[in-house]
Amino acid sequence: MSAHDHAEGLPHQPETATLEGRNKILGFWIFLGAETVLFGTLFSAYLALRHNVMDGPHPSELFQLPMVFAATMILLTSSLTSVFAVQALHTHRKNAMVGWLIVTILLGLGFLGLEIYEFSEYVHEGHGFTTSAFSSSFYTLVGFHGAHVAFGILWIGLLILQIYKKGLTTVTAPKIYVSAIYWHFIDVVWVFIFTVVYLMGKVG
Amino acid sequence: MSSNHSTTGEQTKRHRTEGPQKHIVAFIMSLALTIIAFAAVAAGEINTTFTYIILVGMAILQVFVQMAFWMHMKDRGHLFPIIAIFAGVVIVFTMVIMALYWVWW
Repeated sequence: MSAHDHAEGLPHQPETATLEGRNKILGFWIFLGAETVLFGTLFSAYLALRHNVMDGPHPSELFQLPMVFAATMILLTSSLTSVFAVQALHTHRKNAMVGWLIVTILLGLGFLGLEIYEFSEYVHEGHGFTTSAFSSSFYTLVGFHGAHVAFGILWIGLLILQIYKKGLTTVTAPKIYVSAIYWHFIDVVWVFIFTVVYLMGKVG
Repeated sequence: MSSNHSTTGEQTKRHRTEGPQKHIVAFIMSLALTIIAFAAVAAGEINTTFTYIILVGMAILQVFVQMAFWMHMKDRGHLFPIIAIFAGVVIVFTMVIMALYWVWW
């Protein structure tokens, strides 16, 4: 905790120091409101169609709780490391921030790897995208979330490169902050996915 | 900025010494809520309706914890984010009810 480190002359909470930064964050929240609606449509389609399994496997025989639990733990931990990155941003510890962002990315990659493995297992068990209304809505919803994780990894990865090139400034700080908010949002969506899709699917 | 950390006489730097404690507390709370939800399903001996209630309750609590602490929505100046997300949630509820009604009744 180098609380007295004013070396770069950055204000406290550099992401809200400029009007541009504040507007960027505000605009991003409006985007997240729209993302909520996007995932809401996918959830409503899934909820309406989840019992239509045709000849394919039923959710309760398909889902493996240990794997879902592992994925949940990975994503939850990555959300914690990304909030640590924002705390490091607030105290201008650039190296600590980049370190936490790298840990976040690695955990995100672990989550994504687990999900790809999971999907390939399901396809082997005869649960393809076109098997039933349940399988289509399942892959669309969970796949959309996975795509968001993949995009987040790419985005934060590029931001790390930009931090190395341009340093921590009032221009780059809002980008880091906004990407952390995005990452938490992905985790929040996952809370509903593991509850509604996996746990409720297991209950029946 | 109401975290109760001990300041060492530097009141002006108060907000700068904010530690990771509250985020670790939020993490432990999320962890506990997740484990309760998984345990309720893994136990398998609770009746279905009650399990559903537990699951939905745990999910809503966890989302509130994560949004308040990790997405900083409990902090000052977050009225617009709350309005944006709330507007999204209202539309989501409308759509979920509509889809279920449309397909099942």
